[in-house]
Amino acid sequence: MIRHRIWSATALLVVFTLFLSACGGTAPAVPSASNTTPQAAPATAEATQAAAAAATQAPAATEAPAATQAPAATSAATQAPAATQASAATSAATQASGAAPAAVQLPADAAPREQQVYVAHYDNTSDFTTIDFFESVYKRGGAITELLSDSLVRLDKNFKINPGAATKWESDSTGLIWTFHLDPNLVWTDGTPVTADDYVATFRYGADPKHAWDFTWFFNGVIKNWDDAVAGKKPLTDLGFKAVDAHTLQVETQTPAPYLPAMMLYSNPMQKKALEAHGGLYNSDPATSVSSGPFILQEWKKGERLVYVANPKYGGTNKPLIQKVIDIGAAPSTDFAAYQSNEIDFMSGPNLSPADNTIVSSDQDLQKEYHPHYGDFRTDYLFFDVQNPPFNNLKVRQAFSHVIDRDGLIKSIIKPTQGIPAYSFLMPGFPAANSEGLKGIQNYDPAAAQKLLADAGFPGGKGFPKITLWLRNEAPVRQALAQAIAASIKQNLGIDVDVSNKENKTFTDAMNAKPTQIQFGMVSYGMDYLDPANMLGVFKGGGRHNWNNKEFDDLYNKASSFAGDPATRVKMFQDAEKLLVSDVGSVFIYHRTPGDLYRPYLKGTELEPDQNGKAAQHWPGFTTYSQLVGSMYVSKDVTTYRKSIPQ
Amino acid sequence: MARYLLGRLIGLVGVFIAVSMVAFLLMHSIPGGPFDEEKSPLPPAARANILRKYGLDRPLYIQYLRYMGSALHGDFGISFQNPTETVLQTIGRTWPVSLRLGGLTIICALPLGILLGIIAAVKQNTWIDYVATFVSTLGLTVPNFVIATWLLLLFAVRLHWLPTGGWNGWRTWIMPVIALGLGPMALAARYTRSSLIEVMRADYIRTARAKGLSGTMVIMRHALKNALIPLITILGPQVPNLVTGTIFVEVIFRVPGLGKFFVSSIYLRDYPMLMATMLLVALLWSTTYLLSDILYTVVDPRVRLYGD
Repeated sequence: MIRHRIWSATALLVVFTLFLSACGGTAPAVPSASNTTPQAAPATAEATQAAAAAATQAPAATEAPAATQAPAATSAATQAPAATQASAATSAATQASGAAPAAVQLPADAAPREQQVYVAHYDNTSDFTTIDFFESVYKRGGAITELLSDSLVRLDKNFKINPGAATKWESDSTGLIWTFHLDPNLVWTDGTPVTADDYVATFRYGADPKHAWDFTWFFNGVIKNWDDAVAGKKPLTDLGFKAVDAHTLQVETQTPAPYLPAMMLYSNPMQKKALEAHGGLYNSDPATSVSSGPFILQEWKKGERLVYVANPKYGGTNKPLIQKVIDIGAAPSTDFAAYQSNEIDFMSGPNLSPADNTIVSSDQDLQKEYHPHYGDFRTDYLFFDVQNPPFNNLKVRQAFSHVIDRDGLIKSIIKPTQGIPAYSFLMPGFPAANSEGLKGIQNYDPAAAQKLLADAGFPGGKGFPKITLWLRNEAPVRQALAQAIAASIKQNLGIDVDVSNKENKTFTDAMNAKPTQIQFGMVSYGMDYLDPANMLGVFKGGGRHNWNNKEFDDLYNKASSFAGDPATRVKMFQDAEKLLVSDVGSVFIYHRTPGDLYRPYLKGTELEPDQNGKAAQHWPGFTTYSQLVGSMYVSKDVTTYRKSIPQ
Repeated sequence: MARYLLGRLIGLVGVFIAVSMVAFLLMHSIPGGPFDEEKSPLPPAARANILRKYGLDRPLYIQYLRYMGSALHGDFGISFQNPTETVLQTIGRTWPVSLRLGGLTIICALPLGILLGIIAAVKQNTWIDYVATFVSTLGLTVPNFVIATWLLLLFAVRLHWLPTGGWNGWRTWIMPVIALGLGPMALAARYTRSSLIEVMRADYIRTARAKGLSGTMVIMRHALKNALIPLITILGPQVPNLVTGTIFVEVIFRVPGLGKFFVSSIYLRDYPMLMATMLLVALLWSTTYLLSDILYTVVDPRVRLYGD
């Protein structure tokens, strides 16, 4: 009996091991990819066009380098320092005098300073290793990060690119060399000034093969010698980043890159001195942490909480009104309970379960606190292995594109508050989006679909192999969506489709395998920066999918580095997208329009309606990439919600 | 006894080697790695850099031997999730929390369960028995995360009596302990009841009664002692379950324990942490079985260990 038990123990352990491994597929609260990208935001066509235009303006000038003018924000503020614009006003004043930063004036309706605390949750079931972008992009746990230094540019609620750490920038006549002029008022908390050397050191760290940064692909093909440096073929000193003097940073690109200022949203520096002394994780511990941004790190209990307090030495133009940020580690599924219990001020909308959404839509107060926006311009789409039968046949792909009743799916499954139908890739509001123009190509037309399938040699689905639709660890709502799509394919085309929701990395590995291991799948993509080159890049040959189209690639490459008239550039991207839609490189399903919940006592100019009338915490949320940091405050109404000041 | 123990301990070493090999092979056979390719495939150079950084560019058997070599020296590596800590530091930080939650649960749930079982057995087929049976069936059949969600909705969201989670002070302990404890309590109650009922029919109980002992005395002194023996088999394995933390309850109530690492290490492909948690579980389960076997010889003189 006893001996028997040893064996049963062994057997149990093996079974347990197997079980744990199997759990990977069904683990609860697995963070979705989209969670790591910041929350969300509305935009209008004009606003984003403006951003693209601002970016392309400089290289267009062929004679003297055209400086991109600092937008109105700061200068207007000096003129009329209204109570609600206090932050902009003070920072403008600071900039003008160059003196030590003055104490921030709170707006008249603001709660006292000690109440200026902002509490939110981060996902503590996801990978959370660092609060520094250049240490890791995908291991930031969806937490409030990037508060410890200013990037060169930042976005306002209309997605306009505004000066950040760079007061102005220009490119030379070749469009290859960009010069960024740094704000001399920025200092690190150890008293040393922020210099161009810090930026150069940060980018070198990003490219360092020993560091093995997870976001190097972002600058691939853009920054001079970046690819070679990452591959270890060229020294880091050859990178296209140069400190001309203490406050002048020069960036050299491989080809003209009119979108460079937009890309430089991701340029918040680490301190060269701290990097050399403590390595890239120096901000993991308040003792070694150093900041030149609006906040300093006060506490970081791994897996539990992260606390920042306003940086008294901050000399930049994004001076915060919020004095303390408490970010609590929690599984996303628990956010709504904490929100309802007044423990957090903000919750990310995508973390609401369908049941939670029902509660929100039936509660008047909660409804008012729900702020829909355009997220990161994310589009969900179907993709195929187009190199092999049956999907190498365009008619088959076209047939699939015509059997999806997007309007019906949005109405019954996604809900109109959460998404809009997609017949093309770029969402309305994103630069170069052409939704109306492309709408007719993949329209819902079952009769045409049946004919196309018959023409392709599969009348009524006869002879068509049974296929499986792969999903990447999707939320229940998109599992339902996929089931409905499968049913629609069966009903209209007579083709059997299984739906299989795969574990995240299993799916990604299979999708990226060359040749791909996914015959038919559904996945989404959201932008990293506001330029069509970013979104459309996902369909470039040799990229995510095996739809390789030379004409598309040529158009895409030409448009990406096109430094001429912005309108021409937009047209080139639109032509490329039209090819993608007509050749059915993908079947587009819907654009996500998520929203967030936040309490009405969170106020500020950046939270007021944007050009499109949407009031929300715009992408990229509460980070120095956004002017939100210098605008948001807690109003007096807070006392009706909070019983005590969060500690 | 000593010879028996020695035999068992040698067996354990074999178990450990087997577990480590199976775990190592399985975790490396899942697709993906400690890198993210969700946006687009990584350029080969970037991918190679990451693999080299984590030592994953070497053949698997070399990786295994290196791992075991370091592990024997007490070095379990650095967690990919928490590169500022060693795996042992992470476990050292989080396990005490799980131990405390598990310990509190055991202290509350088991005596309560046994008590409930005794009452149900003594008052067999009365309404008290039915209520106790109902409660324990509920505790056994409703998963702890459902109970946790109910508690959360009731006490935190509706009534605002307790915070929704965290781990600071007794107010944050109540809900996790109840959610975690209801199952084991029910188990203890069910087994105590049936085992006690069986024992109560035994001849020696009739003898005790005949001697004129009071009902309470018969149960406490004679019946219970034997009725509790089967509980060792049943409740022993509950201990490692409870003290290693459970992902659901810890995640729902934001308890910063070890539980979540059992799952997060897998989907984040955090190989060092995954190996360490596997080995920890192996250690706990095997010691628990060993201890319960030894405990048998103490409480039940009929049981003899071979080699004695």
